[in-house]
Amino acid sequence: MNVLENRRTTGIPAHDRLRFAGVLRSEFIKLTSLRSTVGLLLAIIACGLAISVVLGVTAEGAGLPDEPSVAFMLDQVTVGTVLFGQLIAGVLGVLVISGEYSSGTIQSTLIAVPARVTILAAKAIVLFVTATAAALVAMFGSWAVTYPMFAAFGIEIGVTAPGVLSALVGGSVYVGLAGVLGLGIGTVLRSVAASVATVISIILLLPIVLSVLPASPLVRNLHLLSMSKAGDAMSGPPDAGGVFLDLADGYVSSGAGWMVAATWAGIFVVMGAIQLRRKDA
Amino acid sequence: MIRAEALVKRYGNKVAVDAIDFTVQPGQVTGFLGPNGAGKSTTMRMIVGLDRPTAGRVEVNGRLYREHQAPLREVGVLLDAKAANGGRSAYKHLLSIAATHGIGVSRVREVIGLAGLDSVAGRRVGGFSLGMGQRLGIATALLGDPATIILDEPVNGLDPEGVRWVRTLMRKLAAEGRTVLLSSHLMSEMAQTADRLIVIGRGRILADDTIGNVISSATRSVTRVRTPESERLVAAITGPDIIATMLADGAIEIIGLTAEQVAIAAAASGLVLYEVASVSGSLEDAYIALTAGEVEYRSSDTANTGAHE
Repeated sequence: MNVLENRRTTGIPAHDRLRFAGVLRSEFIKLTSLRSTVGLLLAIIACGLAISVVLGVTAEGAGLPDEPSVAFMLDQVTVGTVLFGQLIAGVLGVLVISGEYSSGTIQSTLIAVPARVTILAAKAIVLFVTATAAALVAMFGSWAVTYPMFAAFGIEIGVTAPGVLSALVGGSVYVGLAGVLGLGIGTVLRSVAASVATVISIILLLPIVLSVLPASPLVRNLHLLSMSKAGDAMSGPPDAGGVFLDLADGYVSSGAGWMVAATWAGIFVVMGAIQLRRKDA
Repeated sequence: MIRAEALVKRYGNKVAVDAIDFTVQPGQVTGFLGPNGAGKSTTMRMIVGLDRPTAGRVEVNGRLYREHQAPLREVGVLLDAKAANGGRSAYKHLLSIAATHGIGVSRVREVIGLAGLDSVAGRRVGGFSLGMGQRLGIATALLGDPATIILDEPVNGLDPEGVRWVRTLMRKLAAEGRTVLLSSHLMSEMAQTADRLIVIGRGRILADDTIGNVISSATRSVTRVRTPESERLVAAITGPDIIATMLADGAIEIIGLTAEQVAIAAAASGLVLYEVASVSGSLEDAYIALTAGEVEYRSSDTANTGAHE
């Protein structure tokens, strides 16, 4: 083996080896070198800002509160980023893995990184960080551009007001988790079309279906524990009175929202990891 | 070095690879031949862990592929020319793979130059021709400066200059002491490039030997003679197991005697020979003889074409 090494003509340093930091870098390069994935990240920002501006401009006609209200401001500022961001990030998560299967890149990826759970973990981290970062830009950007609009009516809320920071950050983390949910589903199903349909079903359709079904306790509880309900809780106003989760009362605190959303994302990523390990590429 | 022991791959109840054993040695080019569906690609995929063997094992440089600390330094693989996203530039594709092993930009540029992709490295892979895709695949395989190189149909779609480049490159890599495993349906190309052959059919090894031995064991060599007195020559050499056939161009093809034996017999009878030569079978003849009956997908009008992937 030593003889072999010495006889090689072209050299790369012998200390080069597979490291998790390198896999993260690789995934970041992949995510940022495709128009589709970069476009989706930018779309999270663009949709979030655009909806907030439209809501801000039309707020007077829609009815303004008499005095500054954190709940009202958060409603206006977070709805665009959470509503659109969850779907865009979910689709982005699907593309990150299903796009590799449809293009054949998965082969190059798994040859370079044979440890399958490692590659999925790296994808999840890169996706979560970039999608959350895009959502943070959208959230704080929305707050900033609507601030003067609300100030004109004397109902502006500073970012340091109680509960504002945690809601803006929470809503952004929710968007990141929606991306991870998409990644998990994409890993399980591998097909872009099937995965996108499933992501939309879980995030959008499931709550609607549950709300139409007869309100048995099971249906009601499931509804409260759905992904999008968790998003509302995470981006909502500060918690009232220390209750964590009250299913009977229909109350989900932001902390419970974090847990519910992380559980949804986690379940699908674990299912994806099991599939990825067991099945041939 | 690649070593497979009792390697099996089953899809449902269809056996793709049927308990094969083989060793691919360093320092030479080993050709991997077989009809479509014979199990070549499946075997290659199992070597690098893309597919999991149903039973048995295959090791690269003494370990399972996934157990190496730097897999890309051990094995460079080209399985599919288009194993890259069409929307990504060739440079970014290579850069993303290099990043996993901390391989620097300079090496990425080096393999781009080596594969002759300098002018198109910044272009998106989707616009690449099949030949350019192959060059990108070969560049990818060389990225980690690997000790073992596995290429599935590397010359597919390459222009004559590219075909010669691959041949020279394979010879050079083997001369450097690396293990080179190469599959191709182009028999003439294989005959010029490979030192050894592993022939596989329906998941079983049909031959595993030097290229000369594979040809001589699967084909019969004949002696071709031209003489003005054909009938006297045929009469002079008759014997059991000797078959002489008159050809349309006036030559005689003799099976069962070497060129020397024919020349001595002719001299003893005082016959003049214009031409006497030993004609051995081609690799294509050997391949078709070996794989007759093992061909999975046969075209109905022309049997045994073998090379139509």
